[in-house]
Amino acid sequence: MERCRIFATTMLAALCILLSLIKPQADTVLTAAYATAVKEDFPATGPVSGMPAELLQRYSVNNPKDIGILVPGLHLPDYGASLTSSIYVRGFGSRMENPVIGLYIDDFPILDKNSYDVDYLDIAGIRFLHGPQGTAYGRNALCGVLSIRTRRQEGLQARLEYGSGQTVRASLSGGVGRHSFSATYRHTGGFFQNVYSGKMCDPYDGGQFRWRWEKPGTEWTLSNLFQAALSREGGFAYGAWKDRQLQPVNYNDEAGYRRLTALEGFKARFRHEKLTLDLMASLQLLHDDMRMDQDYTAESIFTLQQRQISGAQTFEAIARPARQIGHWRPITGFFGFFKANRMQAPVLFKRDGIRKLILDNANAGIPDEIGVLDIPDTEFPVNSTFDILSWNAALYHESEFVWGRWHLTAGLRLDYEGAWMGYDCFSSLHYQMIPYMPAAKAYQDTYTGALRHGSFQLLPKLALQYDGPGRWHFFASLSKGYRAGGFNTQIFSDILQNRVMNGLMEDLGVYLDKPMVSALADRTEYQPEELWNSEAGFRYRDKHFQAQASLFWAEAVNQQLTVFPPGMSTGRMMTNAGRSRSYGTEMQVLWHKNGFNAQASWGWNRARFLQFNDGQADYAGRRIPYSPEHTLFAAAGYEGARWALEIHLKGTGPIAWNEANSLIEPFYLTLGARASLQFPRFRISLQGENLTGTRYRCFYFKSMGNEFFQLSKPVRITLGIQFSVL
Amino acid sequence: MKRNILALLLTLAGLCACYKAPQPDEVPQNSLYVGTVSVEYDGGVYENPDIQVACIPSADGKTADIVIYKIKFVPKMPVRIDVTIPGVKVTSLQDGLQLSCNDITPLALGGEYPKYQVYDLRGSVTDDKLSLSLLFGEYPTRFSGTRL
Repeated sequence: MERCRIFATTMLAALCILLSLIKPQADTVLTAAYATAVKEDFPATGPVSGMPAELLQRYSVNNPKDIGILVPGLHLPDYGASLTSSIYVRGFGSRMENPVIGLYIDDFPILDKNSYDVDYLDIAGIRFLHGPQGTAYGRNALCGVLSIRTRRQEGLQARLEYGSGQTVRASLSGGVGRHSFSATYRHTGGFFQNVYSGKMCDPYDGGQFRWRWEKPGTEWTLSNLFQAALSREGGFAYGAWKDRQLQPVNYNDEAGYRRLTALEGFKARFRHEKLTLDLMASLQLLHDDMRMDQDYTAESIFTLQQRQISGAQTFEAIARPARQIGHWRPITGFFGFFKANRMQAPVLFKRDGIRKLILDNANAGIPDEIGVLDIPDTEFPVNSTFDILSWNAALYHESEFVWGRWHLTAGLRLDYEGAWMGYDCFSSLHYQMIPYMPAAKAYQDTYTGALRHGSFQLLPKLALQYDGPGRWHFFASLSKGYRAGGFNTQIFSDILQNRVMNGLMEDLGVYLDKPMVSALADRTEYQPEELWNSEAGFRYRDKHFQAQASLFWAEAVNQQLTVFPPGMSTGRMMTNAGRSRSYGTEMQVLWHKNGFNAQASWGWNRARFLQFNDGQADYAGRRIPYSPEHTLFAAAGYEGARWALEIHLKGTGPIAWNEANSLIEPFYLTLGARASLQFPRFRISLQGENLTGTRYRCFYFKSMGNEFFQLSKPVRITLGIQFSVL
Repeated sequence: MKRNILALLLTLAGLCACYKAPQPDEVPQNSLYVGTVSVEYDGGVYENPDIQVACIPSADGKTADIVIYKIKFVPKMPVRIDVTIPGVKVTSLQDGLQLSCNDITPLALGGEYPKYQVYDLRGSVTDDKLSLSLLFGEYPTRFSGTRL
């Protein structure tokens, strides 16, 4: 914390010095060698939501969770901590494991979801490609791709903000010659108090640095991107839901998240008279540490720590002819990655947890006249260490055929992904059967082994576009995407817990009529999820008005869903348990004239399970939980040379919080506004989010039979100043 | 020739001296038997089929521990338990072994288990069979099984 404050103070001091060198803001340029992301050259065969830098600034988009509502059908709830990047699109998504969209920064795929949520700075634009993009983007591009382009800066720009929750944000960016850099720091005191400790439970301190280098050339264009982010935060502001009332956040054990994430990416574009070749390689690092009061109560039940360090390397090559060959525009690519991850995830059972989760369960099956089992330890650990290697190789091709106003695109990707996991789990405790054992006896258990899986995917795409009269474009497409499989590492502590209890009973010579059943490691893998999507719609664009609308129909097979494994009291695990269908519509309109602007987007879906039994009930026909049925964004404003004013409404819901659909979040609206004054040398802005103070619930889960929610953040007001120097 | 015959006889006698005939009074090491345990309770008989019983002799062969695995004494008992009867006296007989003891506290659930104090245990090991009769607390109990 102290280091972060020193860093912030240094930043602010630097800003004060720079203020003395103020020059009028004028010369922000966007002359990047890569004016667009490489894959933006691929034919857009479906709806695309584009968000240029001006739009991101207008709506104060500072991180991925701010984007969600701008894009119809995309929902990125703001809860937990930075690692909880749950993403829902068109009814699909899950709070655990792999996301349903791919995230790309300057053409480099971000492989770890824990690295998704970082503060944005110097963004040239963001594009969201709706629907499966499996052919061009491969793994996890099941429901779309979010592509972020950073921009090259010249001169020096600074920004300073102060707002609700004692939030301070300071950033500095600039460029000299071929080099651009930016740095940002954010401190938040927090919005939620933990009544147990009396402290705010969600403070945040984090900084990010980015350096970008480009060398344009007639034959070779080279570019390098390095970014690193370091943060320390609290989080997990979950309160119990009792008697239909939300209780305050009240837990006794430490909870928080620390993260270091880094990306080094290098791109080279070779232009030949017959061929354009793009080569992209990246190295990615993630080192994080999450601590969680797993029961979220004031009792000492159990805690979880998850530390991981992972490194990944990606490589992609894309080749295309320099010019169209007759009616034909082919693009061919190769992609591969290798990732190594070591994760340590110790679960610590504390006194109340030993009693409630273990002894009460065990003694329930032992009659009083036989005795009472006791574990006298004040706490006992269940340690798990996982070494996970994963790799992927893919070859893909897309051909676009152009005949007059008609465009036919056909593509196919052959994708292989494999993974290996070694697990090493250990637990140790003392036990005593009262009254027969005179003293406690030590017991320990180890559980080691390795798992491996791999599978091929064929990801086709077929699309037709018609450039209609005027500025109308009509499109229809059929495509497939997949979400990678994986391992349920989080269930191993439950497996070991059950093994310990069964082993301990066997050691005692006691055999329950209904022994505790446990999942085995080889049943904890889950396979890829596949989604077929058909889509039809139109785009319209003229000088002042843009519109886009589409209808989609998507079917997911081998759907990755969380289920209750047999015999587990606390854990849930991902498995390929179901089939689902979602259909709906997404619309966007944008209008601007003489400084006035208006924008609206709306997404609606009807997403239902066709087949899903979680081991306790059948949910066929129920709405897929956590994903909203509607997303709505509407904004209007004026932006002149001296001042700007903008108001917007964000709407989301209804959201089913469980598979039974017995708990529903109604549709809610929040109001935001932004006003700014432009002076010759600087700009001052005042913005507000959730001005109506709407308190909606943004996350739900159940643990040990208790239900929990996280509430939305309250009214937030931010005052900011932005200026250019040098 | 006579010397050779004498040497051969001596050799055979030596070999005969080295041969140890099977002793009916030895308990095979860690013998495991499977059979039915019958427990009399409330005027009825509760039978536990396929119960394994081990007879583990001491080093000097004078006593043995009898271990009864996964036994239920009454049907309503929700668990099965392992019970060890330690220090059962072993006596060699012409046709096998006799087992006996009285007023011994069995071991179960990690310690002494006086609830099922053992009285009047009598048993025998003959060929591949083990039979026992005893009082487990107030429950008359019998076992008859064959060696696995």
